[in-house]
Amino acid sequence: DTMEEGRLWKFGKPAWLNSVWARNAGVYGAGALFSLAFYVLIDAAVWSHSPLNMSDVHVTFIDWLPFIFSSLGMLIINSVEKARLSADSFSYSGSGVAWKARVVLFLGFAALAGGMAGGVVVFVLKFAVHQVAWPMMGMGVENIVANGLVGLSSVVLWVSQNMEDEYSYNLAL
Amino acid sequence: MPNAGLKTIIALSFVLAVGFLLVILSCALYKEYYPLLVVATYVLAPLPNWICGRWANPDDFVESSGNAVLDLGRFCTGFLVVMGIALPVLLAHSNIIEVPAMIMCIVGGLLIYGTIISFGMSFQEEQEF
Repeated sequence: DTMEEGRLWKFGKPAWLNSVWARNAGVYGAGALFSLAFYVLIDAAVWSHSPLNMSDVHVTFIDWLPFIFSSLGMLIINSVEKARLSADSFSYSGSGVAWKARVVLFLGFAALAGGMAGGVVVFVLKFAVHQVAWPMMGMGVENIVANGLVGLSSVVLWVSQNMEDEYSYNLAL
Repeated sequence: MPNAGLKTIIALSFVLAVGFLLVILSCALYKEYYPLLVVATYVLAPLPNWICGRWANPDDFVESSGNAVLDLGRFCTGFLVVMGIALPVLLAHSNIIEVPAMIMCIVGGLLIYGTIISFGMSFQEEQEF
């Protein structure tokens, strides 16, 4: 078909990558990764208030703030209709939808990246600088891991939503 | 399995009973009843897919919003399934439940969820018509 002639790389996409099965598995996987991120952070919070935590370092609202931001960014990114991104190049679309989509997407990516950076900030300022001992240090590491997993989850969700071949998808539905 | 019969029903209910046995044992042996949450999680897990499948209009071939609703349901299902495994691990990590209780709880939860899923798959044909 026409897409095959215009490709750049020697190795084409394997056929299963475009299937409905791979797409749905990607969406389930994104949900699983997000759940993992959420429960890694809950784990830090529960562990912080259990008797195992012998220090006076505790998980507070500050530790949740980066996760809130990266989740918000993920929500924004995946709520935008990707087809509208290139809408201005078509003649039938008016009113600058593509421009709006780009602004909203930028805000979403900024929130996601800000959340991931915030996780590192919390780790450095609250744990690394004060040289917290190891089992307690785990709470800071879990913060970084959680925000990284949110980023990974939104990448998986984005990729699997973009791989859809809409015609075959609708037929298989 | 389109013609799932009596044997399937008996086997599935047996597996479901073993799953519940494991989860309740993991609670009662250690007098700590948090693992029961796992049962609620796995019972709730197929619900988002079911609700979003009804919500999305299957006759709608033009708009892609139906796909987005279905994706939301899949996302929530993935979330709940991992929650069922993550919750006992979390409780064991904070020493709220014992490690054997965690293992029994995870295995029991997976048996319960597997029963629900295979029941849905076995009797899909009969349900739709």
